Amino acid sequence: MSPEVVQTIIDDLGALLLFTMILILAAGQIYRAIYAVATQSFLIAVAGAVLATATGNPDLWVIAGVTLTVKTMVLPFVLHRVVQRLNVRREVEPVIPVGATLAIAVVVVVMSFQLSATLGSVHQAITGNALPVGISLTLLGVLVMATGQTALTQMVGLFASENGIFFTAMAVTQGMPLIIEIGVILDVILAALVMAIMVLRVRSTVDADIADLDELRG
Amino acid sequence: MTAKGLPVWLMLAEMALLVVAGPLITGVIQKVKARLQSREGAGVLQPYRDLAKLFRKGTVQSDSASGFFRAVPVLVLAATTAAAALVPVLRAGPPAFPLGDALMLLGLLALARFLTAVGALDAGGAFGGMGASREMMVAPLIEPVLMMVVFSSAIFAGTTELRALAAYRGAWTSWIVAWRAADFLGFAAMLVLLPAETGRIPVDNPDTHLELTMLHEGMLLEHSGPGLGCMLLASHTRQIVTLGLVSALFFPVGHTGATGGIGLLAGAGAFALEISLLALFLALVESSYAKLRLFRVPPYLGVGFACALTALALRIL
Amino acid sequence: MTQPIAETLLWALPLVPVVTALLMLTTSDRRILSAIDLAGSATLLALALVLADDVAAHGPRALGVLRIDDLGLVFLLLLALLTMAVSIYTVGWLKQAVALGNMRAEPRYLRSYFALVHLFVATMVVTVLADNLGVLWIAMEGTTITSAVLVGYHGHHHGLEAAWKYIIVTTIGISFGLFGTVLVYAAAAQGGATGMGWSEIMSVAPKLDPGIVRIGFIFVVVGYGTKAGLAPMHLWLPDAHSQAPTPVSALLSGVLIKCALLGIIRFQTIAAAACGTAFPAQVLLVFGLVSVVVATPFILTQHDLKRLLGYHSVEHVGIVALGLGFGGSIGTYGALLHVINHGVTKALAFFAAGTAIARFGSRDMTIIRGLFGVAPIGATLLMLAALSLAGVPPFSIFVSELLVLRAGIGGAHWVAIAIFLAMVVIIFAGLLHHAGGMVFGKPAAEVARGREAWSPLFGMMLLAAIMILLGLTIPASFDGLLRRAAEIIVG
Repeated sequence: MSPEVVQTIIDDLGALLLFTMILILAAGQIYRAIYAVATQSFLIAVAGAVLATATGNPDLWVIAGVTLTVKTMVLPFVLHRVVQRLNVRREVEPVIPVGATLAIAVVVVVMSFQLSATLGSVHQAITGNALPVGISLTLLGVLVMATGQTALTQMVGLFASENGIFFTAMAVTQGMPLIIEIGVILDVILAALVMAIMVLRVRSTVDADIADLDELRG
Repeated sequence: MTAKGLPVWLMLAEMALLVVAGPLITGVIQKVKARLQSREGAGVLQPYRDLAKLFRKGTVQSDSASGFFRAVPVLVLAATTAAAALVPVLRAGPPAFPLGDALMLLGLLALARFLTAVGALDAGGAFGGMGASREMMVAPLIEPVLMMVVFSSAIFAGTTELRALAAYRGAWTSWIVAWRAADFLGFAAMLVLLPAETGRIPVDNPDTHLELTMLHEGMLLEHSGPGLGCMLLASHTRQIVTLGLVSALFFPVGHTGATGGIGLLAGAGAFALEISLLALFLALVESSYAKLRLFRVPPYLGVGFACALTALALRIL
Repeated sequence: MTQPIAETLLWALPLVPVVTALLMLTTSDRRILSAIDLAGSATLLALALVLADDVAAHGPRALGVLRIDDLGLVFLLLLALLTMAVSIYTVGWLKQAVALGNMRAEPRYLRSYFALVHLFVATMVVTVLADNLGVLWIAMEGTTITSAVLVGYHGHHHGLEAAWKYIIVTTIGISFGLFGTVLVYAAAAQGGATGMGWSEIMSVAPKLDPGIVRIGFIFVVVGYGTKAGLAPMHLWLPDAHSQAPTPVSALLSGVLIKCALLGIIRFQTIAAAACGTAFPAQVLLVFGLVSVVVATPFILTQHDLKRLLGYHSVEHVGIVALGLGFGGSIGTYGALLHVINHGVTKALAFFAAGTAIARFGSRDMTIIRGLFGVAPIGATLLMLAALSLAGVPPFSIFVSELLVLRAGIGGAHWVAIAIFLAMVVIIFAGLLHHAGGMVFGKPAAEVARGREAWSPLFGMMLLAAIMILLGLTIPASFDGLLRRAAEIIVG
C-alpha cells in the first residue's frame, strides 16, 4: 500500500472512531455505550492491521490481535457481566444534558484538529489525522468519565480514552515497542478487574453505585 | 449535450419520475415492515390505491378553517414537487440553466413543512396544533444538520448545485474507496436524520393516530378527500426526494454512465437500487427500534448534529 | 564493584519486594509475617545503599530498560528508607489495629495486606529505576492498581469510595501521561532515536520538534501531576490519604507522589533540551503556585487529621514544583532536598497521627486533645513533625524551603514569591494552631494513659532523627549526590 492510501484509510477509520465516540457520549443506556466502545476497539484493531500491512512491522499484528481479543471481546464481556450482576437497566440522566455534552464534544474535536494543524511537522511523525483523533478520543473519554453518573459509564469512558491513545501510538511512524504496548494493555485489564471488583463489593455492602458515594468531601 | 449541460426536459422527466415513484417507496417500506413482523401486509401498490380513493372523495372541512386551509395541500404539493426537480436521478452534470441548488431544495422542503404546520393551526383542531408545535420543535434540529451535511460535500466540490455536485463526485471510478473521512461522518449524520426527515420511528410514527405519539400525522387530521390526497402525495415525494438527496451526496454512482438511452437506463437502475437500499434501511430501523419519547428526540438528533458539525470541521481544517 | 555485579544488583532491586511478597504467601502467622516484612525492607535498604555507593564511585549503571543515575538514586534512597520505617512501624501498628478491629485478623487478610504493600513497593522501585519511558508509565499505573486495593483495604464503604475516586482520577490522569509519552516518543522517533529510553531520547533531545514536545510535556505534567497531587488534579489525594491504613498513607504521601514527580522531572529535562528551559519551568511554576494556593484554605478549615496531612502534601508537592520551576542549580537542589525532607517528615507525621488516632478512636482534631498528657513521646514526635512541616528553623524543611525561595529571588519571580510566602505563613499559623490544640489542649474525654508500643516509636524516632540531622547539616556524601542529581536536571 502506498503511504497516501494508508493515510486515507487511517483518516477514514479516525472519522468512524469519532462517530463511535459521539455514540458513546449520547448513549442513554449502558448497554449501548458498551457496544459502541467495543466497536471502537474493533476499529482500533482494524487500524492496527492496516498499519501492520503497510509498514510490514510484525509487532503491529500482535498488537492488533491483542486489541481484538482483549478490548473488543474480553473487556466488553466483563462490563456486560458486571451490568448483569448489578441488574441496572434504568436510564440515568446525565449531569450535563446530552445536547451540551455533544456541543462540548464538537468543540473538543475542532480544537484538536486546530491544534495539530498548527504543528507543521507532525505529519512526518504520526500518520494522517491520528494525532487530532487520538487527542479528541482521549479528552472525550475523560468527558464521559467526568459526566458519567455510574461506575460503568466511567469505565466505558476510561476504555474510550485508552483507545484514543492506542490509535495515536499505532500511527507513530515507527510504532511503539511491542513489550510496552503489551504492558499497557495488561495494566488496563488489571485496572478494569480491580474496578469491577470494587463496583460489585460496594453494591453488595451498601447497595449503591460506587460512583454515587459522596460522603468524603472538604 | 454535455457541453450545453443537461436539457430541461430531462429534469422535468426526473421530477415526474420522482413524484410517480414516491408512493411506491412507501409501499415497499410498508411491505418490508409487514414481512419483518411476520405479516402478509398490503401490496406495494397500496399507496396508489389510497391516493386514487382519496382523489375521488369529497371534502369535509372544519367550520373554523379559513380559505387558506383549502389552498394548503396544493401549495405543499407544489413546493415538494418543485423540490423534486432539483434532485439528479438519471444523469449528473451541470444543468443547461440554473433551476436552483441544494439550498433551494432544503428551502422548498422547509416551506412545505411550514405550510403544513400553518394549515394545521388554521383548522383550529387540538391535535393539529399539538402536531404542529411538535413538528416545529423537531424541524429546527433537522434542517441545520441537513444543511451542514450538504455544505460538507459542497465545500469539497465547490458547488451547491446538486447535479454538478453529483457529477463532481461521480468523476471517480472508485467512489467508495474515495470516501474521505468527512464523508463517513456526514453519511452517519444522514442515517441518523433520515427517520426524522421522513417522519418515521424513532422520531415519529407514520402508522399511528394516537395523540401522544403523532407528529406529522397530527397535522393531517383535518384534511380530507383530494386535499388529504395531495398531502399524502407530498409526504411520499418528500421521502423520495430526501433519499435522492442522500444518493446524490454520497452515492452518485449511476450518474456517470454513457450518454444516450443506455446511460439513462443505467442511471435509473442505479438510482432505483440506492433508493431501495435506503428504504430497506428505514424499514429495518422502524422494525427494530421503539419510538423515542418526545424529549428524547433532541439528544437523538444531537448525535446527527455533532456528526455533521464534525464532518464540516474535518472538511474545513 | 564490578560492572556485572552492579547491573545484577540493579535488576535485583525490584525483585526483592516481589520475592518478599511471594514469601508472605507461605505463612499466616502475624509474627512471621512481620519478620519477613522487616527482612525484606532491610534487604531493599541495604541493596539501595550498596548501589548508591557504586553509582557515586562509577557513575550511572544501565541494563536493559532499567538504569540508575544520581537522580534516580535520590528517590530510591527515600523509597528504601521509608519502606524500612514503615515496616518497623507496622509491627506495633498492626497489633493495635487488629485489637481495635481496624484490620481484620484473619490470616488471609493480613497475608495479602503485606504482600500487596510489597508489590506496591516493587512497582515504585520500577518507576524510580525505569529508563524506558514506557516502562515508567506501566510501573506508574501498576502503583495505582496495587495501592488502590490497599486504600480500600479496610473494606467499609468510605474506604471503597476513596479507592474508587483514587483509581478513576489517577487512571484518567495517567492516560494523559501515556499520551504525552507517545507524543514525546513520536518526536524522538522522528529525531532519530530508535527506542523509548530516557537516556537515548536525551542524546537526541536538542534536535526534537519543539511543537510536539511542548504538547507532550503538558500532557505529561497533567498526567503524572495527577498522580503527584498537583492541584487542580489533586481531588483524589485527601480522600485516599485519609482512608488508607496509616502505613499505606505514609507510603502514598512520602514516596508515591515523589515517584510521579520523578516522572515529570524526566520529561522536564527532555522538554528543556528540546524547547528551552523557560517553557517547562513556566508550566511547573503555574502548577506549583496553584497547588500551594488551593491547599491553603482546606488546611485551615480542616477537622480530619489525616485529610489535613493530605492537603498538606498538595502544598508541599507544589513547593517542589516551584523549586523545579524557579530552576537553576539552587532551585533544583532545593526541590530535590525538599523531596527527601518532605517524604521523611510527612511519613513521620502520618505515623504520629495514626498512633494518636488509634488512641482516641477518631480522626477529628476537635476530639484529639491533650495528647501530651496521654502519650508524651508520641505527642512530642507529632509536635516535632508539625513544627517541621510548618517550616520552623531547626528542621529540615526550613532549609529546603529557604533554598527554593532563594532560587526564586535569584530568578526575580517576585509575584510567585509573594504568593508563596503569604501562603506559607498562613499555613504555618494554621498548622501550629491545629497541632498545638491536639498536643497541649484539654482532653475532651477520658482517655487511658497506656503504655506506648515500642515499634511505632522506634520507627518514628528513626525518621525524626533524620529530619533533625538534615536540618542541622547535610552530610558531604549526600550533598554530593544531590548536587550531581541537580546537575542532571539543569544540564
